[in-house]
Amino acid sequence: MIALWLAALGLGFATLWRYEVTAGAAGGPPGRWPSLSAIERPHGRPALLMFAHPQCVCTRASLTELERLRGRLEGRLAVYVVFLRPAEDGLDWERSDLWKRAAAMPGVTVVRDRDGLEAARFGAVTSGHTLLYDADGRLLFSGGLTAARGREGAAPGAQRIAALLATGRADRNDSPVFGCALRSADAAANDPSQQAGGKEVGE
Amino acid sequence: MSSSSASAATAAIVRRAQERFEASWHDVRTATDRFFAKLMVGQWVFGIVVALTFSPYGWEGKVKNVHLHVWIAVVLGGIIASLPILLAATRPGWVGTRHVIAAAQMLFSGLFIHLSGGRIETHFHVFGSLGFLAFYRDWPVLVTASAVTALDHLIRGIAWPESVYGILGPEKWRVLEHVFWVLFAAIGLAISCLRSLKEMRLIAERGAEIEALAEGEWRRSSVVDRVSAQATA
Repeated sequence: MIALWLAALGLGFATLWRYEVTAGAAGGPPGRWPSLSAIERPHGRPALLMFAHPQCVCTRASLTELERLRGRLEGRLAVYVVFLRPAEDGLDWERSDLWKRAAAMPGVTVVRDRDGLEAARFGAVTSGHTLLYDADGRLLFSGGLTAARGREGAAPGAQRIAALLATGRADRNDSPVFGCALRSADAAANDPSQQAGGKEVGE
Repeated sequence: MSSSSASAATAAIVRRAQERFEASWHDVRTATDRFFAKLMVGQWVFGIVVALTFSPYGWEGKVKNVHLHVWIAVVLGGIIASLPILLAATRPGWVGTRHVIAAAQMLFSGLFIHLSGGRIETHFHVFGSLGFLAFYRDWPVLVTASAVTALDHLIRGIAWPESVYGILGPEKWRVLEHVFWVLFAAIGLAISCLRSLKEMRLIAERGAEIEALAEGEWRRSSVVDRVSAQATA
């Protein structure tokens, strides 16, 4: 009986573990700031964009890390949180805790992304996907901030962004993204803009 | 009283003291098993409430599904609690019951740490659990609990150190630091357990002595005295 119990426990914890360390789809951000984007590129300073699902609980940790990163780099870059806002949905997405929290962050511009058009233009498919563009609109970093799903604390993505801005170098220019899908699998499969992809980071 | 009858009386008191001690300790262990059975139910429900409150749904665009944390809290929490509850009900006081309970208690710590997204504050559940396990007054139970925690830290420390320590690239010896503080608490509680047992033995001996004295008094009184005492009563 005890052996059966231990086996069931092992299976349960392995499932939980696998879920927490399995990243979402990486997406395919363009190497340069997309010209079709309605988000105005700031001139003379880098821009950091986080694409977020306003209901995704895993994104709480991403926002926490974004807040910490913003605090460390205050004034040195423009920060956008681009929230998915489906056009036809009864939910009041703009009153979610995440949305309100991002809106309350000083120096952060919250963008309403109707039907995920901006996410598609920037090739972001997973909530928490963060992009760093330099002052000339070149992609410097693409990926998530957190070390795992919903995990605060150790944030390899945030550290790489800080290193890139401080020294122009980091051990990697990407990170896995942990969060909810910004579009359902069916919607993504039917959308050609999702399949177009983009240039790799650093190109 | 001859020396042989005195030593026989002493042996009887010692035997009775041991019986009283065993009975008393068995009561403590069965009561603690029952306490933990209730605690397991409470922790299971708590885990579900935490999951439903903080991560009720997972999303894919506009589509929402019940979050995996909710299923994990229901199923894995239920599995963790199941065997301790079963053993506490069917085999209270058995040595295996309390060791299974100790392991389950520390596994609940691991589950809560996962459900809370690795919040460092949730790690305090480990130390609270050690305190509760000391109710058994049985120090090997604390060894089992510490071993489960050490194993958890060791495995996660090797495979995914950020999930334990909350920092990137922690030193290899950091696992020893965490285990040290768990042992620090466990050793203090183990000393307290041994002292409690010593006190229980002392109380059992006093009880056995009082019983022997009362029995001696009863034997010394005459039959007439007892009959008249019963009549007045």
